[in-house]
Amino acid sequence: MIEVNSLKKVFGDTTVLESIDFSVEKGEVVCLVGPSGSGKTTLLRCLNLLETPDGGTVTIGKKTMAFDGSGRVKKRDVNDMRTYTGMVFQGFHLFPHRTVMENIIEAPLTVQGRNRAELVREGEELLGKVGMLEHKDKYPDALSGGQQQRAAIARALMMQPEVMLFDEPTSALDPQTVGEVLRVMESLASEGLTMVIVTHEMNFARRVADKVLFMDGGYIVESGTPADVLENPKEARTREFLQLLEE
Amino acid sequence: MIEWFRDIQWEHLFDPELAWESLPFLMQGLQITMLIALAGMVFSLLLGLVLAMGRMSKYRLLRWPARMYISFMRGTPLLVFLFILYYGLPVIGVQFPSAIVAGIVGISMNFAAYSAEVIRSAIMSVPRGQWESAASLQMNYWQTMRRVIIPQATRIALPPTTNIFLDIVKGTSLVSVITVHELLYSSRLVAAQSWDAMTMYITAALIYWAVCVVISYFQERLEVRYSRYLSKR
Ligand SMILES: Nc1ncnc2c1ncn2[C@@H]1O[C@H](COP(=O)(O)OP(=O)(O)O)[C@@H](O)[C@H]1O
Ligand SMILES: [Mg+2]
Repeated sequence: MIEVNSLKKVFGDTTVLESIDFSVEKGEVVCLVGPSGSGKTTLLRCLNLLETPDGGTVTIGKKTMAFDGSGRVKKRDVNDMRTYTGMVFQGFHLFPHRTVMENIIEAPLTVQGRNRAELVREGEELLGKVGMLEHKDKYPDALSGGQQQRAAIARALMMQPEVMLFDEPTSALDPQTVGEVLRVMESLASEGLTMVIVTHEMNFARRVADKVLFMDGGYIVESGTPADVLENPKEARTREFLQLLEE
Repeated sequence: MIEWFRDIQWEHLFDPELAWESLPFLMQGLQITMLIALAGMVFSLLLGLVLAMGRMSKYRLLRWPARMYISFMRGTPLLVFLFILYYGLPVIGVQFPSAIVAGIVGISMNFAAYSAEVIRSAIMSVPRGQWESAASLQMNYWQTMRRVIIPQATRIALPPTTNIFLDIVKGTSLVSVITVHELLYSSRLVAAQSWDAMTMYITAALIYWAVCVVISYFQERLEVRYSRYLSKR
């Protein structure tokens, strides 16, 4: 489903991603862990081209793009690539001037030109699934962080992506609302949705991930099953990081 | 000091009868004032939007002229610009069909510069995350602009835009100098005839004030409407 080869990203004169290789199979859940500044967000953003990679190739679904370092990409290619992915941000980024329902039907309505009544029906079903149906007519400002994030997940799902990208979806939440978001993600995983998740929730990763990638300094230092990477890490840096998290 | 104060002839401050009698005539002037003001608001907003887009463009060829235009208009008196349009252009063979048109053009072009800056800063103050989440949902630049950014920027731009509108209403008085028979011009005619400048100009001032109060009222209504998505915490 995802195939990344020799991916490179440079900001100014600092290389943030240095030859990244990994792949994600259909239906797999991959958790991306690592210290702050290691390039996790940048890697995720390279997958849906919010950042333009400076080298390597990315394949998602049937779309492959190669990057030559010019920083130039065709709009057409970017659009094609983005049809495969949905993204959930640490800060939700719901549209504040639209209700939950309006938020989630916005893109299918304007981008795909689909029928509103049909979308509302679909939206209600989806909101029910993420436990947000009763809040469908509220504005984001009136919701808790956990509720906003669940709405944001529904919004991304409405575009029927084949892969969902999550960038620390629970890091901006009050502790008491973290669980409700993780539960929604877990149920998506059990339905077989392909997901790439940047997270510091190690218990979640242990339970849900098929594969864990540990990143540090722009490299994937170690990868494998949660048992391999989180319980018996081979690399010293991985051990250090996990120890720090436990403290 | 006391002397000076005692000598003020308060009985000549305001002649309600004259004000009342000249009101119908002043209202004709007000119609012209409002015509110029409303046209000025609409066109300065439209041109301002175009200028703001130019100013934020990634192409230097659009950015640079917009920038120059805004700098020039903000750095020159409206009155001088009106003189250029109305007295200057005919010298090179360009004539407006009427002084009113010249006034509308001058006011629109001048206030568009202020409007552009308000629009630009409002658009830029919408958080970047809004652009990014829209992009991740496959919305393109114009879809995002129209459906996500502009509605939020509108709320932010509302108070400063109202200020521009108030300035436009007051600024229309300048076109009296290029022979437009608007409110101030009408007041001056009556003032000359009646020898009572004080009453006539106070009356004119009160009428301008009333118009501005109405505009402020609409602003407050709109502000409530555009802020309804924010909970009152
Ligand atoms: N837009 C940017 N411009 C310059 N440097 C950036 C930018 N975004 C991220 N970086 C840098 O890239 C590195 C990796 O950042 P990031 O991908 O956000 O890491 P993580 O998500 O793992 O914390 C950091 O050193 C950060 O300062
Ligand atoms: Mg990050």
